[in-house]
Amino acid sequence: MTVLLILITLFSLLLIRVPVAFALGGLGLALLLLGGFSPLMAPQAVLSTLDGFILLAVPLFLLMSNILLKGGVGKDLFGAVHAWVGHWPGGLAVATILSCGIFAAISGSSVATAATIGTVAIPEMISRGYEKRFVYGLLAAGGTLGILIPPSIPMIVYGFVTEESVIALFLAGIGPGIALIVLFVVFSMVHARFWGGQAMEPASGWEERKRASLRALPSLALALLIIGGIYSGAFTPTEAGAIGFAAALFITVFVLRSLSWKGFKEAVFHSMATTVAILLIIAGAKIFGKAITLYRIPQDISMFISGAIDTPLIFILVISAILLAMGLVFETLSMVLIMTPVLLPAALAMGLDPIWFGIYMVVMVECALITPPVGLNLYVIQSVARSSLGDVSRGVLPFLGLMLLIVVIMYIWPELVLYIPFKM
Amino acid sequence: MKYFESFTFILAWIAAILFAATGAMLTYEVIMRYFFISPTIWAAELSQLCLIWGSLIAMAWALRWGRHIAVDAVAVLLPVHVRRQTDAVAMIVVALFSVVLVWKGGLIFWDSFERGRTTATMLDLPAWIGELSVPFGFAILAVQAVIEVIATLRGQRDANREAHME
Repeated sequence: MTVLLILITLFSLLLIRVPVAFALGGLGLALLLLGGFSPLMAPQAVLSTLDGFILLAVPLFLLMSNILLKGGVGKDLFGAVHAWVGHWPGGLAVATILSCGIFAAISGSSVATAATIGTVAIPEMISRGYEKRFVYGLLAAGGTLGILIPPSIPMIVYGFVTEESVIALFLAGIGPGIALIVLFVVFSMVHARFWGGQAMEPASGWEERKRASLRALPSLALALLIIGGIYSGAFTPTEAGAIGFAAALFITVFVLRSLSWKGFKEAVFHSMATTVAILLIIAGAKIFGKAITLYRIPQDISMFISGAIDTPLIFILVISAILLAMGLVFETLSMVLIMTPVLLPAALAMGLDPIWFGIYMVVMVECALITPPVGLNLYVIQSVARSSLGDVSRGVLPFLGLMLLIVVIMYIWPELVLYIPFKM
Repeated sequence: MKYFESFTFILAWIAAILFAATGAMLTYEVIMRYFFISPTIWAAELSQLCLIWGSLIAMAWALRWGRHIAVDAVAVLLPVHVRRQTDAVAMIVVALFSVVLVWKGGLIFWDSFERGRTTATMLDLPAWIGELSVPFGFAILAVQAVIEVIATLRGQRDANREAHME
């Protein structure tokens, strides 16, 4: 009963547009007061959230990807990949996906990935006769790779709330990330073979390949530095963010000479706005999480679930349906923050691995990013391509199917997720 | 109101600079540790202070320009006059929450200040330096939320604000 009442209040607050951070924080505070618990816990939770060293990685990764975005790195990256695979069937589409995958390795955000690659790839693809909806779907879905391939802001947040290793999460994202790229690439080639209308392109010469690759080399080196540094333990995720920010500045200011002072200021200010929005939601969720734990709600839900559902398979099917439905109206972090504390205890009781569950949450959240009416990547592509939300949404459907297929593969073969962090 | 808007805009820029500064400090730290084997004792701690203060002083600016994440899907379907009222209620919720945080956060700050409590870390800074950010940030947010209630009811915020998120 209490659970239902809390949920109804929370959703009412959210639907009248109380910002998510304050809806969670406010409801948490009200619950503390009603339950006779000390309201000092609320400011204490805000302080302890913002005091977390790991969360410093959030502004730093945002700074890094925004600087690369303003520095026009997307164009070089796309140009280089295109020089290598452009003559394949569906070559431009393949180049788009691969560019998204590489940019994902230097960006923690899906929106930045979709915007960076989309700005370059969409006009290219449309002008070569690719079907519009396919292009939009490809970019919206390709952008979501940004949060599955490390670094990833949702993984940092998941690691923070569950106290799991962010490094293990980062490494666990690599397997499913590559698998998803392969699925997208195969689909693009099949699509081009059977439904395409675009002309085949001649292969680029070696001279052209060399020139384009050299131009993209700094970004590739940065991607390797970040992943290599984290993997080898040379630096923590937060330090990787700082190094990445410094290296992104170095590359765009000194090597490529593509970042203007205006672009730099925009990148810094934009990163601030996003950071504040993200960190406050986490702080709000922390207050809410404290309050519901004192009311023993996660335990009750976990008990309820384990009473009603007896196999992990049905558990995953049921919560996937719930998460997909939530994803229609919620954006990513709110979903991770609201659902993780509620679902994780039940998942652990089912014998699921917490790192595996984190990656599962990230893939589900990726689906939320591209399901209308609320899906940030849809908005980004819509505004980059100046098209209708309907066109973008329909284009996304086959890709949504492929993302759910990854969940199935991950379930049947958990090693895809767990091999790299734990057995390599 | 105009002055207050400029004030929150300046605070937002200070926050942006504080975040960028953490990048500089932590890069310096990694370089010193790796290449000169002499890690700093201040980089991590000062970075955290930057994060705390930056996040909290920019809240009011973010509220004014609709940069906090909110669920718009249902509210956009409402007729304008109804939405003005629901928006005003939403801002009242923010104001109430902020007032309690100013008050309780102020107690935490005052307690540390009076007892001279320190952070028990390398730098051993006074604990109130970080804790002051809560009453300070939420006081400005409370004022902004009240301004939003009035402006919303007067119909000055009808232009649909977009939620921005990464």
